[in-house]
Amino acid sequence: MKRWMENPLLRYQLFGFTVNRWKRQPLLYGVIAGGVGLTYLLVYQLVAFNQIPFAAALNLCLLVMCLVAPLMAYNLFSLEYEKQTWESLALTRLTAREILWGKLGAALARVGILTLLALPILLTTVELDIYIFDSRSGRIPTVLESTTNLYVLTAGMSLLFSWGALIVALGMWLSFYLKRTLSTASTLYAGQVFALALMPMLYLTFSTGETGNEFIGAITSYWEGFVWWIASLFTARVILYLNPFWAANELNAVLPSSYTWRDGGGSYTYSEGLIYLNWGFSQSITYLALALLFAGLTHRGLKHAWRK
Amino acid sequence: MLDVKGLRKEYGELVAVRDLYFQLHPGDVFGFIGPNGAGKTTTIKMLATLLEPTAGTATLNGIDIVRQPEEVRPLLGYMPDFFGLYEGITVTEYLEFFAAAYRIPRAQRAAIIENVLELTDLTVKKDAYVETLSRGMQQRLCLAKSLVHDPILLLLDEPASGLDPRARIEIKELIRELGAMGKIVLVSSHILPELADFCNKIGIIEKGELLVWGVVDEIVQQMQANRILEIKPLGEPEPLIKRLEREAHVHGVETRNGSLYVHFAGGLEEQADLLASLIHDGYRIAAFREESLDLEDVFMQITKGEVS
Ligand SMILES: Nc1ncnc2c1ncn2[C@@H]1O[C@H](COP(=O)(O)OP(=O)(O)OP(=O)(O)O)[C@@H](O)[C@H]1O
Ligand SMILES: [Mg+2]
Repeated sequence: MKRWMENPLLRYQLFGFTVNRWKRQPLLYGVIAGGVGLTYLLVYQLVAFNQIPFAAALNLCLLVMCLVAPLMAYNLFSLEYEKQTWESLALTRLTAREILWGKLGAALARVGILTLLALPILLTTVELDIYIFDSRSGRIPTVLESTTNLYVLTAGMSLLFSWGALIVALGMWLSFYLKRTLSTASTLYAGQVFALALMPMLYLTFSTGETGNEFIGAITSYWEGFVWWIASLFTARVILYLNPFWAANELNAVLPSSYTWRDGGGSYTYSEGLIYLNWGFSQSITYLALALLFAGLTHRGLKHAWRK
Repeated sequence: MLDVKGLRKEYGELVAVRDLYFQLHPGDVFGFIGPNGAGKTTTIKMLATLLEPTAGTATLNGIDIVRQPEEVRPLLGYMPDFFGLYEGITVTEYLEFFAAAYRIPRAQRAAIIENVLELTDLTVKKDAYVETLSRGMQQRLCLAKSLVHDPILLLLDEPASGLDPRARIEIKELIRELGAMGKIVLVSSHILPELADFCNKIGIIEKGELLVWGVVDEIVQQMQANRILEIKPLGEPEPLIKRLEREAHVHGVETRNGSLYVHFAGGLEEQADLLASLIHDGYRIAAFREESLDLEDVFMQITKGEVS
């Protein structure tokens, strides 16, 4: 941790001017922070009082992540080129790895904060069955029972964070290779619309609604689930399965089986199948692997282009 | 010692820098002069390890800039012709960033920063925000940044461009001081008078070719061997021109404003003989003098105004 905070680039990217911005224009940034805070509370209240289902709440958070994550990475390298600060940085003794993690680390920290902000909103979907204590009949208040279980909640959170991590790593790589802030930002947004909305729509249209549900219901073990995953990587269905919004909806289907991390026992076979697929976690692993790939590509690019 | 050995850069058909050879020693302030597009920036970028040469290399204290870029980088300070500074932080924070990036131990940073601030006359601005500095101050801050790690070679690409006359003088003073501190300083410019009074060595580059380089006084003397005599005849100049063109040491006569400018290859003896014989032959001569060469004439003679 100490070595991390010794990295001046990480410190600059994380606090650098944020701190000074506060010092210089406390009123302006106070108002902005207040506005964002109030909006957050408003959304929280709306979600809580309308008792929206888990999938809807997760979709909402995912949408915010899709919109905000690009802002955390779209200019990481391109701004250095555009403002002509890069050459000075390249000549310092910071290694390619330090430069990479200084930039990516700051972006990931922001994605982490955003994910944590989503937690209270996801928690509103926990439905509580509270028995009112009746002193005459002497009934003991029942332990709180929730219908959003820990599995689904954890899967949702990891889905959110890993999608953000993927967007941020992709953004860093694009801003390194495209060298232009504007191209990077537009590619990130257009790319998300393309991959998350357009492609699934096309798939559903041309596959006449075939989603593989009937096969998922037949899966009865983790091994089968694993094989299914590997197999679906080679089919067009992967367009749906790797979509975080699709995953969020499938997670909703896991709920009724009140799954408790153990095998079997459920009556609803489709949701059992989903559990064997580790729905939510599988996507997260794939996103993180892709994020690592883009980080690796950026690292290689840095080493190659700048002989670091 | 900086030893440049056959440095060459090609961009496709274009040879931007053609096999440069020169050596500089500690304390040398080397003026690198050439018209626009001559290859100054390309040379400096290669020396700064930011651009890979097509052929040739250079060594700094025996360290090869092509094969060991990571080892040379801490030894050189580079100020690009166009540069930006990280914004939103103060001058001190900016210098701290680079001190940390050059791995200067935390305990020494404050003292070093104070030193370079003093050297570059920025002490009064140490708490100002970087983006509020004037162009000249930013230039000095960039120079200060290039000095925090106490480099032995300074590469300054047109450090005086965009400065007012006063700031130019200040930066010249500063460069002179750096030379006196025992650093090797390489300063590029396309304006000769800017360099003439504080460089002890110059190199003149045109179309990628280093036409001449060496100690300033020696170059001027060398050029003096090829002197120009100004002769102002009374009456018609034509007969005198014909007469001069027959002289052995004369290889060219130009007429400007009623004066004849004679390119004369002989020494002082021959010069005296020429005058005596002209008077003996009855030519009426109102003025006869040798044009004294300064660095600028040398430059004009060598480059012949060719622009690539
Ligand atoms: N990336 C590049 N691709 C192709 N040609 C280039 C590139 N960079 C420079 N050149 C060419 O190399 C030559 C030298 O350019 P350079 O920038 O070194 O000149 P300079 O002496 O610094 O000029 P100036 O005084 O204008 O700064 C020019 O003809 C230029 O067009
Ligand atoms: Mg230049």
